[in-house]
Amino acid sequence: MDKQIDLLQGTLDMLILKAVSLGPLHGYGVLLRIQQISGDRLEIQQGSLYPALYRLEHQGWIASEWGESDNKRKAKFYSLTGAGRRQLQSETEKWNRMSLLIASILRTTPGQI
Amino acid sequence: MNLLARFRSWSKWISKRQRLESEMEAEVRFHIESYAADLIRKGLSQEEATRRARIEFGGIETHKDEMRASVGVRWWGELGSDIRYGARLLRKNPSFTAVAVLSLALGVGANTAIFSIVNAVLLRPLPYRESGRLVRIFFNEPGLGLRDVTFSKPELDDLSDRAGVFEDVSVIAGGSVNLTGAKQPERLEFVLTGFSYFPMLGATPQIGRLYGPQDFAPGFSPAIVISDALWHHEFGADPNVLGRTIQFDSDPCTIIGVLPPGFRHPGPTVSGEVQVWSAAGLSAEPFPKPIRGNRGLNAGTIGRLKPGLTLAQAQARLTAMAAQLRHDFPSDYPTEAQWTIEIQPLQETLVGNVRPMLLVLMGAVILIVFIVSLNIANLLLARASGRQQEMAVRSALGASSRRMVRQMLTESMLLSAIGGVAGVITGAVTLSFVLRFVPSNIPRLSEVRIDWVVLGFALLISILTGVLFGLAPALHLAKVALSSAIREGGRGSGYSTRTGRLRDVLIVSELAFAVVLMVGAGLLLRTLRDLLQENPGFNPTQVVAANTWLPIPDDPKEDPYHGVAPKATFDRELLRRMNAIPGVQLAAITSDLPTTNHILNDPSGTDALAIEDRPVESSQDLRAERIRVSPDYFKVMQSPLLRGRSFAEGDEDGKPPVAIIDETTARKYWPTRDPLGRRVRFGQDPTKPWMTVVGIVKDIKSDGLDIDGVPHIYVSIYQTPNRGLSVVLRTSLPAAVLDPQIRHEIQSIDPGLPVFNVASMNDVLDRSLASRRFSANLVGGFAGLALLLASIGIYGLLAYMVSQRSREIGIRVALGASRANVVKLFLQKGVVLATVGVVAGVVLSASTASMMASLLYGVRPHDPSVFLAVPLLLFVVAVLASYLPARRATKVDPLVALHEA
Repeated sequence: MDKQIDLLQGTLDMLILKAVSLGPLHGYGVLLRIQQISGDRLEIQQGSLYPALYRLEHQGWIASEWGESDNKRKAKFYSLTGAGRRQLQSETEKWNRMSLLIASILRTTPGQI
Repeated sequence: MNLLARFRSWSKWISKRQRLESEMEAEVRFHIESYAADLIRKGLSQEEATRRARIEFGGIETHKDEMRASVGVRWWGELGSDIRYGARLLRKNPSFTAVAVLSLALGVGANTAIFSIVNAVLLRPLPYRESGRLVRIFFNEPGLGLRDVTFSKPELDDLSDRAGVFEDVSVIAGGSVNLTGAKQPERLEFVLTGFSYFPMLGATPQIGRLYGPQDFAPGFSPAIVISDALWHHEFGADPNVLGRTIQFDSDPCTIIGVLPPGFRHPGPTVSGEVQVWSAAGLSAEPFPKPIRGNRGLNAGTIGRLKPGLTLAQAQARLTAMAAQLRHDFPSDYPTEAQWTIEIQPLQETLVGNVRPMLLVLMGAVILIVFIVSLNIANLLLARASGRQQEMAVRSALGASSRRMVRQMLTESMLLSAIGGVAGVITGAVTLSFVLRFVPSNIPRLSEVRIDWVVLGFALLISILTGVLFGLAPALHLAKVALSSAIREGGRGSGYSTRTGRLRDVLIVSELAFAVVLMVGAGLLLRTLRDLLQENPGFNPTQVVAANTWLPIPDDPKEDPYHGVAPKATFDRELLRRMNAIPGVQLAAITSDLPTTNHILNDPSGTDALAIEDRPVESSQDLRAERIRVSPDYFKVMQSPLLRGRSFAEGDEDGKPPVAIIDETTARKYWPTRDPLGRRVRFGQDPTKPWMTVVGIVKDIKSDGLDIDGVPHIYVSIYQTPNRGLSVVLRTSLPAAVLDPQIRHEIQSIDPGLPVFNVASMNDVLDRSLASRRFSANLVGGFAGLALLLASIGIYGLLAYMVSQRSREIGIRVALGASRANVVKLFLQKGVVLATVGVVAGVVLSASTASMMASLLYGVRPHDPSVFLAVPLLLFVVAVLASYLPARRATKVDPLVALHEA
């Protein structure tokens, strides 16, 4: 199980936004896509995905619509809204700044201080 | 933060709950089934795949709950279940619910009814166009202590032409006229206005038209406007009334329009609502010549301020103008009078004098609702102690204390909502009842209704009471629940100190508020009782009074009562006929029936007076009220003549003028000398003859039972006649029996004369106290209610204590405690609570009673008897209320009590 990483607090929303930014997905599809992109290295609590989807929709970052899935069944598809796109962009920038900062801190050697 | 999106999603959830719930279900099912399908593809059996999918998804209901929470609608569902739970609790305790709802209905109902009056009378703007700019204008002579004095036409013109602060100015001279030519001659209330009166107020007619500047006439205009009430009452609402000519004070007038039912004249009136409006230019007969010093116009002027001008700015300019006029016309404005002009918002003029009474009533009902909610808080707290275990279990199962407080609050809000609805219904039903007893001298009563403002107030009161009586038990419970309840279990731990202290505080405040209400009621009732026992200076029993009025036609040639002689002849004939009515012992005439307010005769209340052999300068501030009476007046009223003689038939026109003074006048103007034989005269005209003082009578409460110290000078009606006449008859017959005979006799002299307000003198006195009686009885009733609630509260508290400690009592009795010991145990508690509550209440009353000073007469706000009797009464009742449960404690059977435990 060591290849799986627990999700950092607060990053699930960002991953969901990223996943649906590539095209409309139903809830299960979001889960699959995140796992696929991460190469199955991320473990997502399946049930906790939905409260996050509802929260994002409530905030107006994603929109939902009922449609037909690959196996010809009715499913609820989520897609990114304009506001969601802006949110994803700013979250991404924030994340990049943060990870650079943390990485540079972690790279620090005794001589540099 | 996208607020709009959130709101949209939230409202979608509220409105389409059902559909969204099923979609949520479908979405979750789709996820699990898709995952299971993938697992089957990986080689798992159908059964195993479904099982794995379900397990990995986690608790479906928990996730769904989180989904609801994430759109912020979870509380909505919780609210629903809290309400259902609360409703179930209320149904399970019908007696508690009945007591709570009933007392809330009373409290909120009283608030609704009284506030709807306060709202209509004090708060709502006057029903005129831009009424905020309307002001009442007063001419004052502060140097002589006079307000609202008469004025002259040039002074009135200054207001509109010179002052530059008014858009419009109109006189409003109230009065009454005789209507003749209708079924019965009638006395009608009328107001004389300027021609711009209706445009200034923004009034529109119901039918016909209203007069305006285009109708200008130098004297009276023949065009009149009538009220909706008169139109219905006298003309059967006939639209052909327009253009009809009727006789007002023998002058022909033409009705040009009828006002809508809602229109009210914004000024003081003689007795009821104004029924006739007419306008005059005030510069030709019969008005005094338009000379500055000729101040013959009755007081009363209103104006509309120019837009953008504040009251203070306008007042400053008027003060400056008055100063300039005093400077320009020194002979018309004696320095010592300090003549000036004052303005006041019209609303203030109309309602200012009833404000203290209405505010006291409002304070009383707010106190009542306070006491009611303290009482309910107490009941809830008692119940809450019984629910400690329930709460403990809830918190053990994971309910947060915030969640529990919310649940408790929901329950009490539910209660207050039910009580509020019941209260508004109670208020609406009782309002018409209350209005029947509201004295008619309160203005704007016709505007009282339950509108949105009143409903909003009722809602506010309900919410506040709900929070007040709900919060204490809720917070308390949440705290207690966590700590000890489970440990204590159901073993009746007795009266725990925490709840106990809170309940003690509630009871003490309830008692204190009750004291405040009772002290207020005590002061008002004492005032009323004192006034009822007040010696009016005459004997009102077996006296019947009736009123009539000699008309004043505009043309003196048309006036059969012009001059002194015809009036004296009329008066003598009137007395002859009255004395001839069987059952009448003696009849007399007066111009001012005691305690009826004739604003018409003397707007400033008193007349300037001169006393012989006094320096002119000091005579400037001499004033007295002049009352014209016939010779037998003091005999009929049984008002003792102290010295000298009464008037005689011979004191008539052409004979030396005589006067009789009352004790106040004697004390005030001749403190050291004998007034008999001294000479006085009214007015400043030095050519008028002096009147010789021939007698002194005891003070008669002429201006109202609660008005003292006004000097009166009586003159002979044969020498100084009057148009307004009241006949007083000493008789053992009731007024109703005499009414037709009086009417017949007066109209036999002149069929055009109206006869009105025939009543016994006792009824006249009684009516003058209507307003005081109303407020005293109402506050008294509220105080009684407060006493009842407070005693229920203290009784409930001790009864609860007894039941909670029955086990302890059992042990005590088993160990040999006597009955007296047990009674003492609880009685002591009651006595301590009552003492603290009463003392707190007395302190509170002492600091608030002075606010009522203007409503009191003959009683000081800190009247010792009231401040002694009320606490004593409440204390006795409280001790009694605590004795009953204490005695019940002695009935506890030790065996039973110990077994139960």
